[in-house]
Amino acid sequence: MERKRALKTILMVAFVLFFIIMMARAIIGAYTLTPTSTAEDLKGLPLWQIPFVYIWDYVQHGWVCLGFAFTVSGLFAEFIPKSFMLKYMSSGKPIAYLIAMLIAPLFCVCSCTMVPLFSGLIIAGGGIGPALTFLLAAPANNLLADIVTIQVLGWQIALADIVAAGISAVVIGFLVSKTPWGRKFDQKSQKTPEQIASVELVKLPVDERLWSALKFGGYLAKRIIPAFVVGLVAVSYFQAFFPSELVKTYLTGAMGVVYAAILAGPLYTPTLIEVAMGKALVNLGMTPGATVAWLMGQPYDIPNALSTYRIVGWKIVIIYSLLAFTAAVFSGLIYSLLIGGI
Amino acid sequence: MNLKVEVIGVSPPCPRCKKTEENAMKAAARLSAEGVKVEVAKLDVTAKETISKYGVLMSPAIAINGTVKIMGKVPDVGVIERLLREVL
Repeated sequence: MERKRALKTILMVAFVLFFIIMMARAIIGAYTLTPTSTAEDLKGLPLWQIPFVYIWDYVQHGWVCLGFAFTVSGLFAEFIPKSFMLKYMSSGKPIAYLIAMLIAPLFCVCSCTMVPLFSGLIIAGGGIGPALTFLLAAPANNLLADIVTIQVLGWQIALADIVAAGISAVVIGFLVSKTPWGRKFDQKSQKTPEQIASVELVKLPVDERLWSALKFGGYLAKRIIPAFVVGLVAVSYFQAFFPSELVKTYLTGAMGVVYAAILAGPLYTPTLIEVAMGKALVNLGMTPGATVAWLMGQPYDIPNALSTYRIVGWKIVIIYSLLAFTAAVFSGLIYSLLIGGI
Repeated sequence: MNLKVEVIGVSPPCPRCKKTEENAMKAAARLSAEGVKVEVAKLDVTAKETISKYGVLMSPAIAINGTVKIMGKVPDVGVIERLLREVL
């Protein structure tokens, strides 16, 4: 029994190490993990072949990155001390913003934990501010999306996106909590009295925790990859046939940043597809500044807004969406000014 | 001794919460077969009553006799069974 446990642990650690080493090797060797096919490569192909060639391109280059991303996401979800984090996040103190921005996104890869946690924070009286910061930072900066963005769009754009999304999540959460509507909302949701029952999370043995982590990584892969593949089919045709003159006319320059931010909102793209779509747009001529704005558009997409509307009401949804849009535009413009490429 | 298992999830249940509930049922059935009475209940993680009892939790979570033991993950049947036996 003990030996079986040890063996299982070793196998799982080996699995994790495999992806870490492969990923490190890819980074050190500057081996690209992104698809290399351009519109020209795809255009000459028969119609039915386009998605296959494009997806194969992703699979060939991306399996290390995706395997790494899912494994690491599973590990973070398992090993981050959750009750400590939740305690501070619902405390209503300024540190709640910091935790909501920095730590929460690391484990909230799945929307099925995100929205309930958001409403939980509000009901517990943690305040609309930190709860909103969490709601905005979690989808934009989740670990999975970050890893893939770094690989597909390059670390400069990814880093800009991560920093800008984090800062704007805090600023927006804080600003909304200071508006009359935010204040009224906070007054309504009075802090509930100290909890009566206890939370004493059981420490499971390491092999069980590792297994749980890998299982969660697998669960994420199972949920996300099918949608990703369907999304890639659409992106492949887009890449092949969308006129690049249109992209070069509208998604460049200062107005390009604004248009990219407008487009990113209503155009609902599940996790990872927006990164692939961003890559296709970049190939077609979108500027880096516009790309940053595009990536920051996710928090105010329509399905997201609909699910939060039920919890906080439409006034707050409109305020934070407008603020998030402004933040996306500003970040895109600042990136263009600092790094160049408008 | 009677045992009470509360499966704390979202409603409508997400796939992970459903799986957790199934596993809790199976673990309860194993103990029931030995004559231990186990009651399995479902709680909504966003309900005011749940939050005033346990605070903010990540779903899915499992509480045994009023103490949250597992949070934010789907425990295997064996794990739940072991936790139940520890309380016994």
